[in-house]
Amino acid sequence: MAAAVDQSNYHNLSFLDVDRTAQRVMAPAGLKYWLWVGFCAFLVAVGGSFWTRQIYEGLGVTGYGQPTLWAIYITDFVFWVGIAHSGTLISAVLFLFRTRWRTAVYRCAETMTVFAVLTAGLFPIVHLGRPWFFYWLCPYPNERYLQPDFRSPLTWDFFAISTYLTTSTLFLSMGLIPDIANQRDISIGWRKKFYSVLACGWQGTDRQWRNFSMAYLLLAGFATPLVLSVHSVVSWDFATMQTPGMHSTIFAPYFVAGAIFSGCAMVLTLIIPMRKMLHIEDLVTIWHLDSLAKVILLTSLVITYSYSTEAFLVYYAQDPIEMTTFYQRFFGHQGYLFGGMVLCNCLIPLLLFSPSIRTNTIWLFVISIFVNIGMWLERFVLIAGSLSVATIPSQWKFYVPKVTEVMITIASFGWFLMNFSLFTKFLPIVSMTELKEGVGWLRKSARNTYPYGKAS
Amino acid sequence: MSGDIELIGVFSDDAQCAHAIEKLHHASIVEFHTFSPFPSEKMLEAVDEVREWGRSPVRKFVLAGGITGAITALVLTVGTSWEWNLNTGGRPIASITPYIVIIFEMMILFGVLGAVTSFFIKSGLPSFESATGYRTRFGADRFGLVVRTAESDSAKIEAMMREAGAEEVVREAA
Repeated sequence: MAAAVDQSNYHNLSFLDVDRTAQRVMAPAGLKYWLWVGFCAFLVAVGGSFWTRQIYEGLGVTGYGQPTLWAIYITDFVFWVGIAHSGTLISAVLFLFRTRWRTAVYRCAETMTVFAVLTAGLFPIVHLGRPWFFYWLCPYPNERYLQPDFRSPLTWDFFAISTYLTTSTLFLSMGLIPDIANQRDISIGWRKKFYSVLACGWQGTDRQWRNFSMAYLLLAGFATPLVLSVHSVVSWDFATMQTPGMHSTIFAPYFVAGAIFSGCAMVLTLIIPMRKMLHIEDLVTIWHLDSLAKVILLTSLVITYSYSTEAFLVYYAQDPIEMTTFYQRFFGHQGYLFGGMVLCNCLIPLLLFSPSIRTNTIWLFVISIFVNIGMWLERFVLIAGSLSVATIPSQWKFYVPKVTEVMITIASFGWFLMNFSLFTKFLPIVSMTELKEGVGWLRKSARNTYPYGKAS
Repeated sequence: MSGDIELIGVFSDDAQCAHAIEKLHHASIVEFHTFSPFPSEKMLEAVDEVREWGRSPVRKFVLAGGITGAITALVLTVGTSWEWNLNTGGRPIASITPYIVIIFEMMILFGVLGAVTSFFIKSGLPSFESATGYRTRFGADRFGLVVRTAESDSAKIEAMMREAGAEEVVREAA
């Protein structure tokens, strides 16, 4: 029984075992790994060539057109920003609450955050007809009197996303320093030089730990309201518009819950194959996956409640235009997308009420994929779906993506997975420091409170 | 000081190391530093009791950073609006409510930069010199207590360390 193996491993886990396992992950990679990275790079190259064509020929090569001028690229932007949020939840919010199960998975989630924000940041540029003027997005006073409008949510977005990227990167980098110093001490050759530079001379003295602990705590304290504000700001990109289907006061909490939901699902999507391929089952146990699954279940229920509230408010207000938009969303030409979204986000996650499913890695992986698909559909339905029917019926036009957008979207997954895979081989993907700090507690917890007999 | 030596106590448990620090404190020995593979609360509390450090000064930098960020954002938003003095539909030239979002984000950004900068400054990083007594094991699975002392007192301190549970005490010239 796999769970029994996990637990017995935890019982005997020593500090050196933690180090050995983490170092084994970072051992020189084999052919399979480089083939995988090469495949991801190929996807990026294909997406890049389609983007080049789009820049050369204009946005006419996409399915964009009146009235749907925000569609798949903005969907991708919101999707990737959302993915990023669970990383901050697991690394910062659960740190403040001293939730111990985070220790084994938080580095993976934090890394995911940084690369997801990097991916998200590309989409507003891809979305531009003239991307070489991307710097116009930056709100700086200039000599042509094109003054930025600080009342615009798009300007808020610039500040929110750039602050989020900076904070996430610094939070990840700071947490890495003690682990990199550990790697420096045992490495040889070019790796030793590489880690020596990154470790900045860290030696784990009392003075260093004292300042580290305070700085890390304060970063976590800052990251917590930041994560709530960033996705609220993203939601206001839509909610402050007069467009039917978007003009809603519940968007901020609804988006934040959705972000945590999709992000935790993405952590599962990444970590389940990773723990198998990198042989870190004794560090990332079924117990950790079970805890993540519970977060997904909870946020799924919040999402379901949000969908219901949104529909009820439209019904209660009896505004004919909003009613029409929602009727089209549920039963219109692209109503099957809404159906798919409800299936993936509201119904399939209910399976996680079952402890045996929460402890089965195959089930968890499949459910996490459905949640990822569902959350992408949610953003698509919200953005492209609402805009398609936002005007008088004679101007309605349903958006259908063309190969350019599809390939660029696929390339974004290649870009994200390539960066993530490279990180796992060169930097510690599990936090040795925090695992050592909590190893006694984890041993006890895995032995005493792990509630289910069966797992695979 | 000529004739001084360094005693490096190696502990397998952080509680034992913290106990040794307390013993040193009772003997009025304060010239020491410690190494650990993770931030052990027991050790940090024991060291804090000796040095009366209180809370880390990092928080002051963070406060200063946060205030600087908020003021910078206020100046940027209100200043830019006044500079481009365009009345749109009778709305205020400088609308503070939407600017709060930007003020909030920049307060966090500058606070975070303050935290990271002060962490590096106050921890003496980046450093290109090894702290005395450092062993690679202290980054992996052992806790270190390094005491600088006169040769004449070394036997007493070594005994204290061993009594507290040190599995090994190494002598090195200071």
